[in-house]
Amino acid sequence: MADEPVVRRRVVKAASGISEARVNGQKTQSQYQPYKDAAWGFINHWYPAVFSKELAEDEVKGIQICGIPIVLRRVDGKVYALKDQCLHRGVRLSEKPMCFNKKTISCWYHGFTFDLKDGKLSTIVANPDDKLVGTTGLTSYPTEEVAGMVFVFVREDDFADEDVPPLSQDLPFRFPENSERFPHPLWPAAPSLLDADAVGHGMHRTGYGNWRIACENGFDNAHILVHKDNTIVHAMEWVLPLGILPTSDDCITVVEDEQGPKGMMQWLFTEKWAPVLENESLGLKVEGLKGRFYRTSVVLPGVLMVENWPGEHIVQYEWYVPITDDLHEYWEVLVKVCPTEKERADFQYKFDRVYKPLCLHGFNDCDLYAREAMQNFYADGTGWDDEQLVATDISPITWRKLASRWNRGIAKPGKGVAGSVKTHSIRFKDTAAGKPPGYFVEQIED
Amino acid sequence: MSQTHTVTFRFADGASRAIDVAEDETLLDAALAGGVPLMHQCRSGSCSSCIATICEGDTSNQPGSSSTLLASEYEAGHRLLCVSRAQSDCTFDLSYGSAEGGVVPVEVNAFVNAIEPIASNVVKLSLELAEGNWLSFKPGQFVQIEVPGVGKLRSYSPVSTEADLPTLELLIRLLPEGVMSSWLKSGANVDDVVKLKGPYGAFFLREKRRAPHIFVAGGTGLAPVLSMIDRMRQIGGRKPPMLLSFGCATSDALFYLDELELRRQWLPGLDTRICVDREPDSCYHNGSPVSALRPEDVTDPDTVAYLCGPQGMIDAATRRLIELGVAPENVFAEQFVPSN
Repeated sequence: MADEPVVRRRVVKAASGISEARVNGQKTQSQYQPYKDAAWGFINHWYPAVFSKELAEDEVKGIQICGIPIVLRRVDGKVYALKDQCLHRGVRLSEKPMCFNKKTISCWYHGFTFDLKDGKLSTIVANPDDKLVGTTGLTSYPTEEVAGMVFVFVREDDFADEDVPPLSQDLPFRFPENSERFPHPLWPAAPSLLDADAVGHGMHRTGYGNWRIACENGFDNAHILVHKDNTIVHAMEWVLPLGILPTSDDCITVVEDEQGPKGMMQWLFTEKWAPVLENESLGLKVEGLKGRFYRTSVVLPGVLMVENWPGEHIVQYEWYVPITDDLHEYWEVLVKVCPTEKERADFQYKFDRVYKPLCLHGFNDCDLYAREAMQNFYADGTGWDDEQLVATDISPITWRKLASRWNRGIAKPGKGVAGSVKTHSIRFKDTAAGKPPGYFVEQIED
Repeated sequence: MSQTHTVTFRFADGASRAIDVAEDETLLDAALAGGVPLMHQCRSGSCSSCIATICEGDTSNQPGSSSTLLASEYEAGHRLLCVSRAQSDCTFDLSYGSAEGGVVPVEVNAFVNAIEPIASNVVKLSLELAEGNWLSFKPGQFVQIEVPGVGKLRSYSPVSTEADLPTLELLIRLLPEGVMSSWLKSGANVDDVVKLKGPYGAFFLREKRRAPHIFVAGGTGLAPVLSMIDRMRQIGGRKPPMLLSFGCATSDALFYLDELELRRQWLPGLDTRICVDREPDSCYHNGSPVSALRPEDVTDPDTVAYLCGPQGMIDAATRRLIELGVAPENVFAEQFVPSN
């Protein structure tokens, strides 16, 4: 007996008991299990990478999306994107950009040099005849640049070029194509980034938390309470309800067109949703003169559209781009079609003076802290089981189900990248030095 | 023209491949060019992935190359194929099988997590690999379980996937007088420890085939097939259309219908047909899962099919699929043999 090794159980966490009666009972939860598995995001989708103005000609920048490090370089106006992890020893090329010509980027450490177009290892600076040359390379990522934004198709290493869908399949519903399907008397056609003369102004910053929690906040119709005291609401004398309740089974339309974005449209400010303007027991009543009507929709991989917001003929887009499982890049972009120079200048002025300080900051800052306030509850995984959802949560539940069905892949936990180990001394050192975990690569200064 | 030699690679599963190699090319280059599935990575003599043992013949090192093999390892017959050339006809032994990945079966312990009857004659056995134990498998492959107290081995294909490890789920058909069935009915308890061996079998999902997939499953033959479907879901990227035809004799023998409904929800490209062949009045397709196949199911000449169930079903499904236009080499099948 003495030489029989002891057989031990793994240390396991106890399953939590969930009642079937709950909105998010076990059965409902299993319908969106793939979504619960997507802590690192959905891969094989288009994501915003940088604003065009953030990447000058010949500039190199490193970012991370869905646990994949990506280096961007602009050459002759065109943006190229490669995996930002040298295949030799894993160093990030973007940490110390080294480019000897317009076709390649070299690793600053041992000189592995990659073709910008396809990522192939085209030479090694001090070892040009090495056998490895030409046989291997880094994954490349297709890019698109529209209305002042650079998008990158973040894919798995073996995702085929011919399967890359057009950017429009990962952007919100467009109008007037959908005007008949989703009519609205106040704004017959919301603008789109892809429209001629579209101008996008916005900002992006790092959110400390999982991307799904952030994303759900954007279209959860009960969350507008956090905006009750926002300056813009009162300065403009807007009527913003305390909340909005679904009154009909068809309050949300799920869109699953074969060629097109997959997502859902909420019929806000129609008879399918009732705004709540008063809570008698608390003595609360919304005062205001001007209805501020808007409509939210969300499409994969997690793109919010708020039509008619924060002004007429403007649309607000938001992305919650996964960086790791506990970090995302929060994008807020306002889009307006500006055919003339004067309209462009006016939109820019209004953005700088009103929208950016009072909306993207003043208003949406509340969303940012509300999302961060939910993080501890969900970070260890128990929140998904323990959350007690209510009627208005039909929106996140519908989203979870459709995202489970239509995503193009669930990102694997980051391998060998920033944030795959949360407790590494580098993360502590950087944070102590005043550089919290973020989106862009900090470049080495010589 | 340099001289050529015949080089033979013997895989651990008994498969053997011979190729002609010129004296001035490396064995790895020649083998890969000839389609021999050798494990390899750096191709420059450092990582040792392409290590093999020479049994007959002579090799030389590629001029100018370096190798990380120790002199003693070289003496013992080890060679790194990426930096070796043939000087004569040679034979090499490889430590892995000819199926990609070169998985070697292992023996592990697992705890019983749950024993759940899921149909009139099917039990789901949930196991969890013990601390320090690991057994990976391709979807469709099977493991052997030693029936406690009896010492007999029984084979089952996990219905779960590698992604669910350390948990493994087996679907076990209850047989009167079966040793596994007797143990499940009267002896087995949660927290019992069982011995597992595996993985085995060449019935596994061939990944990255882009043509439509047809799965035909009878009874607990659903297990390997569902493991494959789940793997297809996990792989991500563009998925081929999939059809699952699954049947049992009677509706009270059916199981996993909720699980299949979930797959239909998660996979827009999955069509499922549930069949019952001894109950004309049930709400399911009346007939065998083979009879549910239709001519319009096979429109692509590269269609791939995976079949698992009783021999009769497999024979009928193979005939039918070939008749509908599936190439015989694209039909993969495994019969399950009930054993007492």
